[in-house]
Amino acid sequence: MGSRLLNKIGLFFGALVLVSPAILFFLWMISLSLKFEIDNGAYPPILIPERFAWSNYAKVFEENNFLLYMWNSVLVTGTATLLALLIGVPAGYGIARLKAERSAIVIMIARMTPGLSYLIPLFLLFQWLGILGTLWPQIIIHLVVTVPIVVWVMIGYFETTPMELEEAANIDGASSWQVFRLVALPIAKPGIVVAFILSIIFSWNNFVFGVVLASRETRTLPVAVYNMLSYEQVSWGPLAAAALVVTLPVLVLTMFAQRQIVAGLTAGAVKGG
Amino acid sequence: MSAIAPERAGVTTQAIEGSQPVRLAPNYWPFVVPALVVVGAVIVFPWAFTLWMSVNSWTLGQSRSFAGMENYLRLASDPRFWESLWHTLTYTFLSVVAPMFFGTVAALIFDARFPLRGLLRGLFVMPMMATPVAVALVWTMMFHPQLGVLNYLLSLVGIPAQEWIFNPNTVIPSLVAVETWQWTPLVMLIVLGGLASVPREPFESAEIDGANAWQQFRYLTLPMIAPFLMIAVIIRTIDALKSFDIIYAMTQGGPGTASETINIYLYNTAFSYYDMGYGSAMAVVFFIVIVALSFILLMLRQRSQWIDAEGK
Amino acid sequence: MASVTINNVQKAFGNAKIIHDVSVDIADGEFVILVGPSGCGKSTLLRMIAGLETISAGKIAIGEHTVNNLRARDRNIAMVFQNYALYPHMTVADNMGFALRIKKADPADTASRVKRAASILGLEKLLDRYPRQLSGGQRQRVAMGRAIVRDPQVFLFDEPLSNLDAKLRVQMRGEIKALHQRLGTTTIYVTHDQIEAMTMADKIVVLHDGLVEQIGAPLDLYDRPANLFVAGFIGSPAMNFIHGHVEEGIFRSAGGLTLPLPEGIQPAEAAGRELVYGIRPEHIRATGQGLSGTVTLMEATGSEIFATVDCGGEVISCLFRERLALKQGEAVRIEIDRASAHLFDARTGQRI
Repeated sequence: MGSRLLNKIGLFFGALVLVSPAILFFLWMISLSLKFEIDNGAYPPILIPERFAWSNYAKVFEENNFLLYMWNSVLVTGTATLLALLIGVPAGYGIARLKAERSAIVIMIARMTPGLSYLIPLFLLFQWLGILGTLWPQIIIHLVVTVPIVVWVMIGYFETTPMELEEAANIDGASSWQVFRLVALPIAKPGIVVAFILSIIFSWNNFVFGVVLASRETRTLPVAVYNMLSYEQVSWGPLAAAALVVTLPVLVLTMFAQRQIVAGLTAGAVKGG
Repeated sequence: MSAIAPERAGVTTQAIEGSQPVRLAPNYWPFVVPALVVVGAVIVFPWAFTLWMSVNSWTLGQSRSFAGMENYLRLASDPRFWESLWHTLTYTFLSVVAPMFFGTVAALIFDARFPLRGLLRGLFVMPMMATPVAVALVWTMMFHPQLGVLNYLLSLVGIPAQEWIFNPNTVIPSLVAVETWQWTPLVMLIVLGGLASVPREPFESAEIDGANAWQQFRYLTLPMIAPFLMIAVIIRTIDALKSFDIIYAMTQGGPGTASETINIYLYNTAFSYYDMGYGSAMAVVFFIVIVALSFILLMLRQRSQWIDAEGK
Repeated sequence: MASVTINNVQKAFGNAKIIHDVSVDIADGEFVILVGPSGCGKSTLLRMIAGLETISAGKIAIGEHTVNNLRARDRNIAMVFQNYALYPHMTVADNMGFALRIKKADPADTASRVKRAASILGLEKLLDRYPRQLSGGQRQRVAMGRAIVRDPQVFLFDEPLSNLDAKLRVQMRGEIKALHQRLGTTTIYVTHDQIEAMTMADKIVVLHDGLVEQIGAPLDLYDRPANLFVAGFIGSPAMNFIHGHVEEGIFRSAGGLTLPLPEGIQPAEAAGRELVYGIRPEHIRATGQGLSGTVTLMEATGSEIFATVDCGGEVISCLFRERLALKQGEAVRIEIDRASAHLFDARTGQRI
């Protein structure tokens, strides 16, 4: 009994050591964002300052058009995710039922291709179409990220739902579309939630597409925060505050939907091999 | 057999063998077609276009001309490309090995039961989900040679201050540290999934046979999770090769070109110098490198699969 | 309701032929059971009738209409699946009414038909529950209810009882049989369990390796198995098979054991070929005369005694209905009921 308890305490501290880089990083991030310049420049560094610099956050929104960029991010991520669900969920269903290995391989290679190699041709295409100043180029190119995620998660999900239910519906007189809408789709709801969350996260975090395609008015948050670094006097407090604002929605989503994310990532990853 | 058929009641003249081909199964293609169109437009078209661009010489704003293999030959004799390839491979190797090690250890710990396991695992997964650019900014501050918190922490244990990403010799290991910090959780999740699929009984039997913890790990756990480790290696390799956000946001390939990977060089070629033809050729070669490495690893994975070896 | 005609049907998956050439006539209202060991093609045949598999060659007709090219949803059949295939996101009532909803039937009419089916099956109180809240037996009933509500031409059952425990299986067997008597709908039922086949069927079709071995009423199959496969498959414990040949009007086994010829067999028709003598364990009695042997195994269940007796190298299983004071290793004399013995050609397996 005693040794088992010791064992558990040992495991707990082992886990704590492994988790500490993550905890310390985020604590330091918060600390940086809440300190005035003078505290951020102090040596030895201060973790908890005497005065909190809430003004850092105010500054982020006042000076950098951050609300516009946040709205851009919401539009790009939201539209790209909804479009991906709209076409990706039925596609995942079809591929799973057809056992269309080749379609699945295309999706896998899409995941392997570096984002930059999509950018050259699509950049030229958007330029030719004359839509570079709008959000559409980013929405369209984000489909490169969101569609494969949704299709991949949904293939995995539909492969696990029993075929017999659909056969039963078939015998009950349902057409293919009715089988999908009335039987397959409701059962796949948890899978759709997973696909939705993962698609949102990876689209929201995307940086490389925006850095090429975004103009001053169409920046998404990751590009905006990066631009703060390059074009303005680097002051750490507001910069850390901006970084936190950018990543906070994703972290909150991660905390609330941890179980689905873990399930989706491991399933997707394991299938991905 | 059709000789008997007319004698049977109810047999009409309807053809028996090889009449029209019937499909009773529902037609699933309508479900796939919209996605195929979109994938064709945003994924397959760019592939083809890149291939075509790579045999053309075209800098934005100038006229385009057919160049044949010129871009590829230029690539072969471009020392900056070879240097970036070397950086990429070093960066990738380290960014696979380190997360694999820490991720596997973490998975073994999180597979056991102990207080607050769920909470700690949740915190452990956080870095993976955080926005890379935001993460990169904060790490840049932490790496600051004078004001950074890392050098302060080192000074506490008596290690002299480092220059981290600001020194050509330490920039790649420093970037790998960030990559490791961010992506160890994914390895952990995959291996944890593998551990969950490992059956309990062999361990009980090994326990009775007198195997100690290390022997159980070496001879039971490791071979059983080998396929999952291989998957993690493959995914990690692909992601590390493609890594862009962290490197670009922290160093943009610097100091000088000390941390310029193919991806960064490709970006600079295409979107700083607007040399689209040369950039496309680089993209093609880069893509081939990724596919080749993934393919080699996939082959290795086939050999590591114990489930298949048993002939399921 | 309708008859079902299965005419020279074949099924191949690529090069693998699952069903070679099967013909069965099923009359309107008949309860037919397809039985055979796993892999014999019985489920595939059922799925072909349902329209879930294509027919490689031959013809299947329901009533007057050939259904080869008809999709499952147009065949007007109902099927009960092995694992019930209940829609997990619908209540019991919605599950049962699904087919009518698809047909855009009047909701009030649907509700009343669901109610009627539920009362037949004793499901009235469960109509608002979801499948996950039901026990195995209740799920089984809902699956049947879903079939009843349809009022289809044919009921198809694919091993519906194999997921239930032994006691429930016996109970459901009776209920399905009673249901058939009440509704009179043509029923095709697949099982690997010969007891289910014997107790429920009007007509049994024994399938083996994609071929029909025998079609007949349960007791016909038991009394007059057409070949060695049916003889061995039907009946439990299984029939004794003794290899040998006929010499001077008596059967002589390879080990030298002599047995009387089954009734109705002329020595002439059996002479000169390799034979298999078949006798069921329950058709052997310990009367103090006949073959002498040694008891090698004896298991008493109370209602009967199962014993194996070694008679000069041939081990014969016996089932005695009376209480005998038998002991292992003891000598015993057993008598074979000639009227119930069978003789098969060893090469073709056919009954003589």
